Amino acid sequence: MIQPYVEPQARTIDRSRTNAATLEVEGLSVLFQGLAAISDVSLTVNRHEVFGLIGPNGAGKTTLVNCLTGFQRPTSGRILLGGDDTSGWPAARFRERGVARTFQAGRLFKDMSVSENVEVTGTGLGLGLRSAREHARALLDWVGLSDKAQLPAGALAYTDQRRLGIARSLVLSPAFILLDEPAAGMSDAECEDLNELVAAIPQLFTCGVLLIEHNMRVVMGISHRIHVLDGGKTIAEGTPEEIQRHEAVLAAYLGMDA
Amino acid sequence: MPLSRALARHQTPAILIVLLAIIACLSLVGQSDALQVTLTEMFIRVVVVVGLYVFIGNSGIISFGQIGFMCIGAYAAAWATGEPTFKQIMLQGLPVFLQEAQYPFLVAMAGAMVLPAAVALILGFAIMRLAGTAASIATFAFLIIVNSVYSNWDSVTAGVSSIIGIPTVVGPWTAYVFAAVAIVVAYLFQVSRIGLMLRASRDDEVAARASAVHVLRVRLAAFVLSAALCGLGGGLYAQFLGILTVDPFYLSLSFITLAMLVVGGMFSLTGAVVGVVVVTAVVEILRALERGVGLGDTAFSLPSGSQEIGLGVVMALILIFRPSGLARGKEFRLFRAAPAAPAASAAEPALQLSESPTSAR
Ligand SMILES: Nc1ncnc2c1ncn2[C@@H]1O[C@H](COP(=O)(O)OP(=O)(O)OP(=O)(O)O)[C@@H](O)[C@H]1O
Ligand SMILES: [Mg+2]
Repeated sequence: MIQPYVEPQARTIDRSRTNAATLEVEGLSVLFQGLAAISDVSLTVNRHEVFGLIGPNGAGKTTLVNCLTGFQRPTSGRILLGGDDTSGWPAARFRERGVARTFQAGRLFKDMSVSENVEVTGTGLGLGLRSAREHARALLDWVGLSDKAQLPAGALAYTDQRRLGIARSLVLSPAFILLDEPAAGMSDAECEDLNELVAAIPQLFTCGVLLIEHNMRVVMGISHRIHVLDGGKTIAEGTPEEIQRHEAVLAAYLGMDA
Repeated sequence: MPLSRALARHQTPAILIVLLAIIACLSLVGQSDALQVTLTEMFIRVVVVVGLYVFIGNSGIISFGQIGFMCIGAYAAAWATGEPTFKQIMLQGLPVFLQEAQYPFLVAMAGAMVLPAAVALILGFAIMRLAGTAASIATFAFLIIVNSVYSNWDSVTAGVSSIIGIPTVVGPWTAYVFAAVAIVVAYLFQVSRIGLMLRASRDDEVAARASAVHVLRVRLAAFVLSAALCGLGGGLYAQFLGILTVDPFYLSLSFITLAMLVVGGMFSLTGAVVGVVVVTAVVEILRALERGVGLGDTAFSLPSGSQEIGLGVVMALILIFRPSGLARGKEFRLFRAAPAAPAASAAEPALQLSESPTSAR
């Protein structure tokens, strides 16, 4: 069962900086040595929704998330956060303005404790140490890791590492959280638990979720809308029902899954 | 917070300071000059190596330039405390407020921290943008630049001749007090917000940036604090020797201090302090053997030069059996820490000498 989340107070934090209602991508293209990883993609993620982003391996999903968090400069096109042009923002600024992410490869601070992994984001966002620790405790409670708070993050089991990655990104309720294959490599039962957690995020954190996920059952189950990329191009966008019946999507996936 | 809990929580610096105090008491036992000199030099090196640790240990970036800051600090102290008559004749390029006055010891130490810190702030803006190896090479270039500027700028450094007449007020106990201060400062930095963010960037720079950490800023903060501590070490050294040239602040001191940090273990404060003590002890033992010891009626002595070779062998052995240094990235702890205490680094992160990853996957 998903616990309710009660965020500790943080009076020094200016919430007006992270209240963007939309995260928009306009005509985005990314070239790597002349090869297009993303070509002319446009989409809008709204707060309060789970937005699925799917596509075969190498479709450009991670590259898109990198652009949305300041880790990859677009070759052309714009990214707007609540209408503000984000070009030139460093990665830390994206997080300060409420765009958080997890990494496909985990990227925990392996030599630091589980609690410290979460505290880093709190201090990065301007909390004092004591307050950052309170926020870490609350989030670790929520993801079910409070009994492991003092362990080194590198010692966690794989599924727990994924949960920690999510906890770390949810500090101070960002406006958007971009999850890059959070359930990759998990068993069906572990997947279920994680889905429950992810599905609860928009409500509890008033936060939009962009979810990259290969497991079709999962994405179809919790996304409100789904965007499909293939070879860096948009091939479809719509509700799960529409996507399941979409011919181009079926064609793209038939070669892969069937 | 009750005293006992505060002590349990902050036991690492307390243990290190007590340990050094015990060593300092040796100066009461043997009154030989050589011992006083050895102890004083050792405590000054604690200040410098702890200074190195503040940047290198917390950021994971090797700097070869911190001895340059020590040099800047040493000259700042010399300018502040040197004989006005000497300064007016030999150091005519100095500003009048330095030429005509002789400032007290603590003012000189403050200057020995502020000047290198200011230089580090400016230099750091440029260097901290560079990734791992490039940053390390740039710090090495800085060391070379400081050395040639200070050897050639005759009107303020007396060039190749030396500055003499600096009051020699630093002995083992003064140096010990400053070593203790350096340990406390480094510890407070390590457990501060900035220290936490910096250690996160050492573990994974990409993830740190995604956690709202402005990596450049936190690295710069550590670089400046490190320069201040190294500068303080330089100031103490100047007021210990009483005579100053540029020569000691170059390659061999850079390497011996880095070796101390590496031998002790560069990812903990304990490692930095233990490294200085152990390497100093090894050097002193080898030196004593070189001078010769009497065994019964046969005098036995090592051939000269074996001190350097012996030190090299001992350091290689330590690193073969303990690749991450004697402390292995851990801190001294006698009592279980209170739960709120920040956990010590549990394992040794890989040293970031390679290019830091820029692609985020
Ligand atoms: N830094 C880079 N340099 C060059 N090419 C890159 C780089 N990053 C990604 N690519 C290429 O861009 C394309 C899209 O990669 P991306 O990682 O975004 O795909 P993905 O949809 O996340 O795939 P997966 O499902 O395997 O995670 C791939 O062909 C990849 O090889
Ligand atoms: Mg990917």
